[in-house]
Amino acid sequence: MAQEKISLAVMGMDQHENGVIAVGRILREAQMSTAYLGKLLSPGQVVDGALSHGADVIGISCHSWEYLTLVPQLVEELRSRNLNIPVMIGGSVVTADDAVKMKNLGVAAVFGAGARDDEIVDAVRSLARKT
Amino acid sequence: MSIITRSGLPLKDFYGADDGKSERPGQFPFTRGRMANAHATGTWIQRELSGEGDGRRSNEQIHYLLEHGQTGIDVIGDAPTQSMLDPDNPLARAAVGTQGVSLCRKQDYIDLFKGVPFASTSISSSVPAIMSLSGLVLAAREADFPIDKLRGSVLQPPLYVEDCSYAFHLPVEFRVRLSLDCMEYCALHMPKFHSYIEDTYFFSESGLYPVEEMALGFLQIRHLTRLLIERGVPVDSFAPRIAILVNCGMDFFEEIAKVRATRRLYAKMMRDEFGAANERSLSVAISSHTSGLSLTAQQPVNNIVRGTLQAMSLVLAGVQALEISAFDEAYRTPSKEAHLVGLRTQQIIDLETGAARISDPLGGSYFVEQLTDEMERRIVEKVAELEALGDPNALASGGYFRQLFHDAMERGQRRVETGELPVVGLNLLQIPDEDDTLLKEVTTSKIETWHSQTERIEQFKITRNIAGAKAAMERVTAAVGTGENLVPVVIAALDADATVGEIVTTMRRALNMAPDIFDSPLP
Repeated sequence: MAQEKISLAVMGMDQHENGVIAVGRILREAQMSTAYLGKLLSPGQVVDGALSHGADVIGISCHSWEYLTLVPQLVEELRSRNLNIPVMIGGSVVTADDAVKMKNLGVAAVFGAGARDDEIVDAVRSLARKT
Repeated sequence: MSIITRSGLPLKDFYGADDGKSERPGQFPFTRGRMANAHATGTWIQRELSGEGDGRRSNEQIHYLLEHGQTGIDVIGDAPTQSMLDPDNPLARAAVGTQGVSLCRKQDYIDLFKGVPFASTSISSSVPAIMSLSGLVLAAREADFPIDKLRGSVLQPPLYVEDCSYAFHLPVEFRVRLSLDCMEYCALHMPKFHSYIEDTYFFSESGLYPVEEMALGFLQIRHLTRLLIERGVPVDSFAPRIAILVNCGMDFFEEIAKVRATRRLYAKMMRDEFGAANERSLSVAISSHTSGLSLTAQQPVNNIVRGTLQAMSLVLAGVQALEISAFDEAYRTPSKEAHLVGLRTQQIIDLETGAARISDPLGGSYFVEQLTDEMERRIVEKVAELEALGDPNALASGGYFRQLFHDAMERGQRRVETGELPVVGLNLLQIPDEDDTLLKEVTTSKIETWHSQTERIEQFKITRNIAGAKAAMERVTAAVGTGENLVPVVIAALDADATVGEIVTTMRRALNMAPDIFDSPLP
């Protein structure tokens, strides 16, 4: 099976990188191609970055409530460009209620605090297969 | 207050061997504390980090904390403020006021500090130093309070800030210049104000070990001290106003040894390498913030226990100021409830346990003394290793520190995942989510984005005296070029109603930097 490609990013003014770097390592150790696009990005820049990486999945790290504004914009940006790249998000600030909201908006997978490595890896594999 | 135990046993100021050779508190090299008699000089500054919404909302927070016994203030900006962006910047809009206070102009600072008793309150800030210092000066002027009487502090993280904190897209040489300008300005005009807090907290939250934390801290202190001496500023005019803000994780005795070793190393370094003679230049004040990284989103009530233990270790180590990361840290900046718990924790330690009655109560413990010696040895070794790599500015611009922080994040996460570092409720002794309800509601309550502040700033930019703001920004451009001290120029620009985002954008233009996503449109 082809190697899964995931682009990771932090959007807006959120500048906490511990989480995204940890997830990047977990996925890399699971033999995936991971690209950390960086922080301080707009939804449009994330889509551009994911396209140049040829990503199967986009992963957004969320450690600020800005994600509640920016993740829906990202999903909309993908739709408006007719791109079928699933978005997964994760971070300690994601509450159970907000996870449901995000899924209803079209986010493919949501992880809160304490998600296990294997759950994250399995989710990326499963989402990448669907694209 | 006489110092006696509950049963009435009299206590000395400190305990030690009467051999004339052993270290004593209040004496070089200050391992055992800055003061010989801790109880006579008052307790540590007890405060909690605050800031949310706009200046007015944060002013209410400050008054609430002061009313409940807080003895100092430490304000943090929202993410745009930390990155020196105005709230109307497209990148900033969704983040205004949610993780700190939005401060981008003189009026915001006046609102923030309204009614604060400057004479009796130490005012610290985690907002970029050049702006928070200038804003404080203007707020003090508004209140008719002389700036040479202001007490408090600003952080100076020029080498590391772009790589593991709130970036503001200025080159390292210029960041260093801004730090030196603040230190020089305060040495001349604000002798009671700590113009340089070496903040080892923020970068060690990447997961650095305590030895690495202090080595990077000393690397930067040494770098800035050398450069300021080269400018012709006498070491004894600024060294008394350097302080160190340390992190405090869960390794109880190692953290105590770290603080003791830091005081000793600082004293030796200032005296022997930089020729400081003033006793106050040798006895560094230690401020502290307990580790947010050590806290968990699971079972937030456990974070109160963690904060208590960390605070206790800092009190036993003899720090001068303390902040406890609040129990809701994993989700938000502190709620009112979390603020009060942090403050009450400090007050209980201070007033009920008597842990601070004598200086350095653990001094003389075989274990703590040996651990202190070993920490000192390893920090010195690590500093030498880093200095051998060459100019710290070049290391910063070459990405050396970024890689170091990145590696520490990976290492820390791996240790938690493998269970090598036990974290109760996270990698062992977990409980099901449905049972994890205690304090969960308050912990996950949100602060809404402060759109009203963005609208206010948009309106302000239209209605202010634009010609005056432009003229002040032209002075900024000129001063960047001439190398004169930028603090008075930035104070004047804020006073003329230029905004923080505009001032920094003007600096970028003057430095011939390429257009940047952080830029503000200039009037």
